Amino acid sequence: MSSILVPDPVVRVQNLGKVYGPFDAATIDRTGSKIGTARDSTSGSIVAAWDVSFDVQPGEALGIVGESGSGKSTVLRCIAGDVSPTTGDIRLANVEDGKVNILDYDAAQRRRLRIDQLSVVYQDPAEGLALGITAGGNIADPLTAAGWRNYSAIRTRAMELLQRTDVPIDRMDDLVRTFSGGMRQRVQIARALANNPGVILLDEPTTGLDASVASGVLDLIRSLLEELNIAAIVVSHDFRVIEMLTERCLVMHHGRIVENTLTDQLLEDPQHPYSQKLIAAART
Amino acid sequence: MESGLCDATLLQVKNVNKSFTLHNIDGRNIHVLHDINFVINAGEHVALAGTSGAGKSTLLRILFQTYSSTSGTILFKLSSGDWVDLTQLSDSEIVALRGREIGYVSQFLRAQPRRSVIDLVTRSGIARGMNNDSARELAQLTLEKLHIAQSLWEVHTSVLSGGEKQRVNIAAGLISPPRLLLLDEPISALDPENRALALELIQELSQSGVAVLAVFHDLDAIEQVSDRIIAMEHGRIVQEGPTKTLLPLLRKGYIDA
Repeated sequence: MSSILVPDPVVRVQNLGKVYGPFDAATIDRTGSKIGTARDSTSGSIVAAWDVSFDVQPGEALGIVGESGSGKSTVLRCIAGDVSPTTGDIRLANVEDGKVNILDYDAAQRRRLRIDQLSVVYQDPAEGLALGITAGGNIADPLTAAGWRNYSAIRTRAMELLQRTDVPIDRMDDLVRTFSGGMRQRVQIARALANNPGVILLDEPTTGLDASVASGVLDLIRSLLEELNIAAIVVSHDFRVIEMLTERCLVMHHGRIVENTLTDQLLEDPQHPYSQKLIAAART
Repeated sequence: MESGLCDATLLQVKNVNKSFTLHNIDGRNIHVLHDINFVINAGEHVALAGTSGAGKSTLLRILFQTYSSTSGTILFKLSSGDWVDLTQLSDSEIVALRGREIGYVSQFLRAQPRRSVIDLVTRSGIARGMNNDSARELAQLTLEKLHIAQSLWEVHTSVLSGGEKQRVNIAAGLISPPRLLLLDEPISALDPENRALALELIQELSQSGVAVLAVFHDLDAIEQVSDRIIAMEHGRIVQEGPTKTLLPLLRKGYIDA
């Protein structure tokens, strides 16, 4: 009907769900935001995420906010492949033209996606990097996995990525263990970008960093998203992160999406009772 | 046809209401806008007048969809000529409209600590569909027009004075302007000389066909740039008419400004 041009999404997630323990329809009904818990008291099962659907356009960052235990990281880890979802459908525009549900892939195929389609930047660099290896080595790893063989080409690419993420080139051959928190995060971002992925997943990318270091890392992420036309999903409990990086966001509570809205509208005019509580708490 | 509608009509606001439901304060409901109706044509500059709390900023925010409206329709004519109801669009469609079709310039520069002045304005032009080189060129020209010294172009916006920040904000908001521009006290922190420069740029907008809906603190600014005034009180439109008719009433205090 309307002639507003919205680019086709790069990622489309539909009805994603993750339940720990046995469950049936009643389990689902006994949990969620309205009930006030993700744990079904009858079966003891945890409905960590349920009925989660959204899409993300190229060059866009979508935020997922919510307090600890809301299910936001579960959603991210289901997309990344770190956690196997119970149900759902995830399509990537760059993978077989979006014709396959990547949840139908086997483990080897999922791992392959992580090399050049779907990168993750974790809150804890120890999860995304090998701390006992050099910065250059950490970046070379996904490159060789993608088939790069020429040593000097790999080194040049690693140098390029470190330069772009503002890591001093003379630290390239130092162990990541010797790096500061902010610099480790930059190396993680450099590694995540190595094979030009279509999608990057950011799990609390600046939590635990000093404010000034965090704003530098955020600014880097923001510039990269604009420059590279990547789609990003950003999970954070910090509204400054969400405000700075995203135009749209989801609010999760006890495993469910309670609000799916424009980021400025969430901050200025939140609709759901839980969103209002969350925003009020962040403002004080 | 309804009165006031013509081929140039760009925006039709019909029966818009806004209330805030405060779920965590005993579910209290605060009704802040009542049955708002008006139209704006391309190239027209309309000033919203009224005391603080009259609902002027609320209305601008609803048009930009920073606030959701509780009821009513907001019809906007796209550059393609099609009409859309802003209240019915998806979030992604609103994101796509912002910038190129509808812009919002607030009183404050949104904090972007590590971005240089020239970069900020250039990126705004790029976001509105310009290529890098012409956006940069136009950014320089706009900053010059607003008397932002060239020595400040490469510094981060965080170190600027309040007045400088506001002028950079105006430059970013006015570069390659969208078809409807919402201005919320954009010149409140400027001295008379800089205010005159900013108002000149705002006046040029109307000549290039941009529709402007603006809130200005002072009546002289309204007199200089606006064609028409919509006066608001307690969340309602109480008067509407040509600036030359309504301004004398505002000055005399017959309508609260």
